Amino acid sequence: MNNSSQLSTPDATPNLGVRWALVIIFLLIQFAVIIYAIKGSVPESEVRKVSGYQPWSEEVVAVAEKIPVQDGGRVKPFSTFARFELLRLHGAVSMKIESGGETRKITPTEWLLDCLFRPELADQLPVFRMDNTDLIVGMGVKARDRRDRLSFEDVSPGYDKLMARGKELTEQSDSRKLKPNEKQITEFAQQVLNYQALTSALDFARNGMQIENIPEGITNTEEFQTFSYWVEAFPQVREAVRNAAALNDGEIPEELRGTLFRMEEYIAKTRFGLNWIPPYDDSKEWRPLGRTITELIEGASNHWEPTVADLKRLEELVPLADEPNSEAFLKSFTEWQEDLTKRSEARDLGKGIPGEISYYKKRYFQKALGYFIFAFVISMIGWIVTEGTAAKWIQRGTAFVFVVAVLYLVVGIFHRSYVMGRPPVGNLYDTIPFITAGAVVVLGIAELITRRRLLLSLATSLGAAGLFLAFRFEYGDAKDHMDPLVAVLNSNYWLATHVVTVVLGYSGGLVACFLSQVYVHLRLAGVIEKNKSFQRFVTRAAYGIVCFTLFFSLVGTVLGGIWANDSWGRFWGWDPKENGALLIVLWSLIILHARLAGWMKDWGIHLACIFGGMIVAFSWWHVNMLEVGLHSYGFIKGGEVIWFFYLAEVIALVVGSIAYLLYRKEKAARKTS
Amino acid sequence: MSKLTSKPPKSFGRRVFDILSGYEIAVVSFTLLFLLTFFGTIEQSWIGLYAAIEKYFNIDSFFVIPRNAAEKVIFFPLPGAYWVIVVLSLNMFLGGIIRIRKGWKKAGVLVTHFSILFMLIAGAVSSLYKREGLMTVFQGEKSDYAQSYTDSTIEVFAYDENGDRKPPLIVPNHQLRALLPTDTLTVALEELPFDLKISNYLGSSEMALGSEGETAKVIDGFVLREVEPEKEEEMNMDGCYVSVMKDGEELQELLLWTANPNPVSFVVEGVRYGIHLPRQVWPMPFEVELNKSVGEYYPGTRKASWFQSDVTKVAEGYSEDYEIIMNHPMRHGGYTIYQARWDEPEGRPFSGFAVVKNPSDKWPEYALYVAAIAMGVHFLVMLFRHASRGRSHSKSPAESAS
Repeated sequence: MNNSSQLSTPDATPNLGVRWALVIIFLLIQFAVIIYAIKGSVPESEVRKVSGYQPWSEEVVAVAEKIPVQDGGRVKPFSTFARFELLRLHGAVSMKIESGGETRKITPTEWLLDCLFRPELADQLPVFRMDNTDLIVGMGVKARDRRDRLSFEDVSPGYDKLMARGKELTEQSDSRKLKPNEKQITEFAQQVLNYQALTSALDFARNGMQIENIPEGITNTEEFQTFSYWVEAFPQVREAVRNAAALNDGEIPEELRGTLFRMEEYIAKTRFGLNWIPPYDDSKEWRPLGRTITELIEGASNHWEPTVADLKRLEELVPLADEPNSEAFLKSFTEWQEDLTKRSEARDLGKGIPGEISYYKKRYFQKALGYFIFAFVISMIGWIVTEGTAAKWIQRGTAFVFVVAVLYLVVGIFHRSYVMGRPPVGNLYDTIPFITAGAVVVLGIAELITRRRLLLSLATSLGAAGLFLAFRFEYGDAKDHMDPLVAVLNSNYWLATHVVTVVLGYSGGLVACFLSQVYVHLRLAGVIEKNKSFQRFVTRAAYGIVCFTLFFSLVGTVLGGIWANDSWGRFWGWDPKENGALLIVLWSLIILHARLAGWMKDWGIHLACIFGGMIVAFSWWHVNMLEVGLHSYGFIKGGEVIWFFYLAEVIALVVGSIAYLLYRKEKAARKTS
Repeated sequence: MSKLTSKPPKSFGRRVFDILSGYEIAVVSFTLLFLLTFFGTIEQSWIGLYAAIEKYFNIDSFFVIPRNAAEKVIFFPLPGAYWVIVVLSLNMFLGGIIRIRKGWKKAGVLVTHFSILFMLIAGAVSSLYKREGLMTVFQGEKSDYAQSYTDSTIEVFAYDENGDRKPPLIVPNHQLRALLPTDTLTVALEELPFDLKISNYLGSSEMALGSEGETAKVIDGFVLREVEPEKEEEMNMDGCYVSVMKDGEELQELLLWTANPNPVSFVVEGVRYGIHLPRQVWPMPFEVELNKSVGEYYPGTRKASWFQSDVTKVAEGYSEDYEIIMNHPMRHGGYTIYQARWDEPEGRPFSGFAVVKNPSDKWPEYALYVAAIAMGVHFLVMLFRHASRGRSHSKSPAESAS
């Protein structure tokens, strides 16, 4: 059969104009549903004017990226920490600003450097994403739109009221019982506090003790004004306070009280935020300076010397940031980074930092997404240009670009897996690139066997859609998905067997769903009505993929049961996650047995496959939103976008039903004629 | 043209067999099971896992009516999942093992059906004979019993002259579970010179200080109140009022609540008795001594990274050391002990062990390996056959002719 004539003889089909109109209308509706869902979850990006913003040099940024930070239970690069902090607050991994008539993009590392070293500039950056500013405008917060990104300067006028309301809500009720609006307020207030923990972490080094009346006899007044001086002298200060209080009927002299207040303030400000200083003892936990100082004061630790040394180094470093790109700052900052790295590596931690920085810099999935889109566009041209040398080159070009995209995707998954030190799938985010890879590889192999081009085109579109979903989920969830897994999941054997097989089942279900959507659209358009061989091919391919889905879903589901039996003592507990996987198995079995019973033929199989896509979505995503069962580590909040996916699939089912009715009508008309 | 022959009519038994072993029954059963699983899943977000299992999947659930959060009916009544699985198993046995055409081509399907059937039987055995409970042991201590997660029993015991408890007499859970708040149950336990009249039994309750104008019965200043059930059934605390009756006369009225750790005392005929409503106790035929209990969290988080318990199991003078860690339970003598909980209140580490006795513990695993191989081989053979056929079909007529 000539490949170029697969979608042939449209003129033989009646009502061709109406059919094409229907296809276009339904495709537009499906497209509109998806665009609406995406737009509804992303605030408009606005370029904010920030006065006097001087960008960080590439050298400073490169040094900063490598600083080890403990967060989420592991030691990670400063750049990764910054990326997910910014995602949590801002909902994106960069922001655009205008300064000095120039528009520039601020990366997460640059933003975190601003927070630490130039908070006055950071406060002007539109960092807080708020989806319903109506809730906080009444408190005095300035907003331009209902869904907006606000700077700390915008929040400041309503800060006190916001904090008071947040505190009131947190204290008055169990967080699970808060209404959605109340939850939004508490979450927003918490975000502002998290931000402040970063911007005030180095206030002690920036502002010093600000003691107005320096006592006589103090020769080094500069040192006297430093926080480190007072921390180092704390045992003597404590003694002095006791003596002074004893002499003054328990009253502490005014000047000493002011100094103590300032110390307390700095300790409080450095109790949270960045964990970038490895502990001085055997402890596994990296503590912020404020906690270390508290432990010293309370006598729980005795590491006065290294603590004071670190405080002094920061007191030297921070003022140099007034000239952010000066040699002096770069030198001092590099020494600080090298020292922290050395101390981290001495504890056998943070050795994977270069690999992780390189993973994010290589942007595998972004590149794969670009290539998939490119391959999809070429493949679409291939369906228009079907004859001659140009058609051949287009086919080859599509295949080549597709292979490049798959390579980027697969290498990205491997690199990520290597950085994490575990099999590639351990959480919901991990499943997305993996399922995408599974789907495109399966379709690629099927294309190699069948050589009909349809599966290749479908693979390119699925590759693009899957990776787009990965980005949206990463941005929406705003969690570092490379963080270690809970104890029960900490099993490379089960992750590599149960999880991998079950998500390959999801891949199969989705591939069958989209292949069947292509089928019903082509049938509605009337372009394959005379090409029975092509119809048979698509139906067989869909059926084969249902068998693939059944195999992997069944094996994966039962492996999950065996894992549960080893972890929790029961093979099957009708938990939502287990049930979700079972639903896919049951649906595949219904298709297989209904076909054998003669209840389902080509149309039935395709409509069932489309419905199967909804079941996969339910099993893959929706069960995590129910927030019930033993798989609590997988629960997700929000995720309402899934309803738009269901809607898009319902539209596909309507398309299929109309196409089927038209087919029946025309078949009956042919019989009577 | 083939010659038309009339087939002899099928016997009644054969027709019944054909129906029971047919694909139609399989499709209907799968569809029902699909619907039940779906509704049984979404309903969990409103009524919790335990209640949903009771409603949809238990052996005594013959019919279910799916409802939404507001208790409104959202689908037609469906048969209980347990019984659908029974029908499906019968169909699979008759159709997928007896009736199926035997031969190499169908060997994979036959073995797959056999394995899946074995897996379903394992499930049935487990649902009928499996017992599970929670054993809590502090480091350096021993335990020889587990307690049910959800079922409570009333235990009554006498104190001896030293103040030690004598062996308890028990009002079993199945008698209590059947009680409605308005029901009254009088229990006469042998060896006791009194009866117990149980009333106002609540499956989800709290014991609170009785306030002024209290409508509920106040016992020693406390009342029992019904509370909204939690979705996690183990969080729901049972409670009831118990009257100690002698010759039809009420000697004393007591308030029992599962979360109350101390038994309530009373005296009859000069003997002091204790009574309480604990989770059902399941004695073990061995003792577990917890030598070391270790729990670790990822630094700076409350995310568990590692739990481990070093235990010694002592039974009939024989002792053996085991290491129990997540995903690696201790299996011995038909019992399996899993690390389920860990905490260190006031510096005293303890381990919560899930104890399970399940005769079909490993059956699904064996069945899966066989089914996976059989199904994999079958599908691969089908794929290669289809691919080779597809290639010969895709040849042009000219190529085929040559």
